[in-house]
Amino acid sequence: MRGDGSAIETIDLKKTYRMGLVKVPALRGVNLKVGHGEMISVVGPSGSGKSTLLNMLGALDTPTSGRILVDGVDISRMGERALARFRNRKVGFIFQSYNLIDRSKVTKNVELPAIVAGMPKNTRDKRVYELLDLVGLGDKADRRPNVLSGGEQQRVAIARALINDPAFILADEPTGNLDSKTGEEIQNLLLRVNQEKNATIVVVTHNVELAERTGRILHLRDGVVEKESVGLLSQGQVRDSGWDVMTDWRN
Amino acid sequence: MTVLDLVGLSFGALKERRLRSGLTVLMVIIGVALMTSINGLGGGMNNYVTEQLGTLGANVLIITPSASGFGAEGQGPGAQSGMQTKLTSQSVRTIERIHGIKYAVPYFSSSATLKSGGLTTTAAIQGIDQSKLVYITPKIGLESGSFVSTGDSSGMVLGYSVAHPSNLDYPFAKTGQTVFVEFSKVETEGGIEKVVTKRKAFQVRGTLSELGNSQVDSVVFMSLAAANALFEKSGSYDGIYGITSSPDDNDRVEASITKFYGTNIGVTSPKSMVSTIQELLGTFIGFLSSIALVSMFVGAVGIITTLYTSVMERTREIGLLKAIGYARETVLFMFLTESFAMGLLGGFLGLVFGIGGAYFLLELMPFGGPGTMSITPSFLPNDLSQVFLLACALSVVAGLYPAWRASTLSPIMALKKE
Repeated sequence: MRGDGSAIETIDLKKTYRMGLVKVPALRGVNLKVGHGEMISVVGPSGSGKSTLLNMLGALDTPTSGRILVDGVDISRMGERALARFRNRKVGFIFQSYNLIDRSKVTKNVELPAIVAGMPKNTRDKRVYELLDLVGLGDKADRRPNVLSGGEQQRVAIARALINDPAFILADEPTGNLDSKTGEEIQNLLLRVNQEKNATIVVVTHNVELAERTGRILHLRDGVVEKESVGLLSQGQVRDSGWDVMTDWRN
Repeated sequence: MTVLDLVGLSFGALKERRLRSGLTVLMVIIGVALMTSINGLGGGMNNYVTEQLGTLGANVLIITPSASGFGAEGQGPGAQSGMQTKLTSQSVRTIERIHGIKYAVPYFSSSATLKSGGLTTTAAIQGIDQSKLVYITPKIGLESGSFVSTGDSSGMVLGYSVAHPSNLDYPFAKTGQTVFVEFSKVETEGGIEKVVTKRKAFQVRGTLSELGNSQVDSVVFMSLAAANALFEKSGSYDGIYGITSSPDDNDRVEASITKFYGTNIGVTSPKSMVSTIQELLGTFIGFLSSIALVSMFVGAVGIITTLYTSVMERTREIGLLKAIGYARETVLFMFLTESFAMGLLGGFLGLVFGIGGAYFLLELMPFGGPGTMSITPSFLPNDLSQVFLLACALSVVAGLYPAWRASTLSPIMALKKE
């Protein structure tokens, strides 16, 4: 089923978890639309369903009912292999706790999604170093993640999320583990990715400053969108520059 | 994703847990090495038996008095119930008359101490008509001198390893030299037992060329009369070699002898001895192999444990891989590659250590010295490849469950794991 041209659209999205005999509703019918190149934030108290929504959008979890249309395609009806391919090619994940593999060098961590995508080794290497330069870690390519600071580790995770040139970036509390200064640097990096790469970004955050700098803020409470507000990005008050446009390796 | 990428990711994970992976590989090595050593030794022993008894002619039957004497319930006309049958010149004539027998060659045998030029050794001594030796051991030949004639009561022929002990740079005795033979026995005189030693000088008439059969190479031959007198056998032979017209007659001749003497006499042919010993060896080696097989299974259980622990520890990593697009089968193959790598490495090193281990075990065994059994382990490419493939196959099977667990983990649950 095709949607109306939105990058992401959810229709009456519901998710209920079972805890023994008890049913716990996490999402009670979320309807949202995210346009191409839009950067939105999802805010709300703990347990409001923010992370559940993000996991659904990233095809990490399946809805109990409702539909998720990504570029008009209903991903809630895809098979497991197609979902894995979707996550690999279309989505870049950024996690609060970075989720880097400590035994592997920074370069290896960044190239992980490209390996399974079948990107040729020489293209992969070139792209890894381009992205590490972009996130300011060109000189730390051969380090192990556990010797890097929190901010540097999150930069590695951002580079990893970008390696396959995804259409969507889904970030779950990307600044949650960082101090305010480092958090701001990561915010700037995400804004640059959105503006200059035209990537659609959905950020789940408790960070009010980060939420306000996005184009639109979705306020989630008890599994439903309580309200929406306009962020500074939509008002043209946030700019960043210096983004080197990357070539799509698939082209 | 290329195979090289898959191998790279798997080896990275194994390297991270070096000690645990190393110990698991060691378990596989032990199983494979044990299996390889046992197969090699078993093959070597089999070859040894075949080689040793194979030097005897195929048409030779060894007839001996019944070792026990009890249960000698003679069924034939010559059977003497309850008594041990003695093999005498009459027995030789009787056996010679059996249809299918070409020659009946009696022998006396015992062991004695030999002394020559200040050197002392112990050897098996056989008194036999040496003109018939060629029928018993077709490959027998002289290195020097001549055989001892029937009427020669002071001549002897030295087997190759008696004449050339491996621990000496020079011969024990050469043709023409005198060798003293000392034979001790216990005698009872007036109710008192005492050891009596007889000593007699012999001249070496000849030495035998090497046969590679320790039974023949370590024997000293003398005439029947000389052995009869020296060992005080009173004409009672220790055995008779029955040379049949053809190996095909062996069974029929054996049946005839048994029919005549009943169970008072033992008849064996090298062929049946080989098959009996090989059967026994096969059972013994089979038993040891089953222990080695259990050891290989223990190695496989080690792989399961290691890999399963690894899956538990790397749950978040698996969650991440699935989140960034690694499909279920990719994760499955990643873990199977890890288990296969352990099997491959353990299998290869196990073969190397197993081959070395077989030679090492031989050193520890109570034979292999001069004049005794010299077994060389035998490693057939087919056996080696079977053990190696079994190790690899077991490792893959062992990896299936942990790999399946990893591949079916929910990315959400895996990422949430602390």
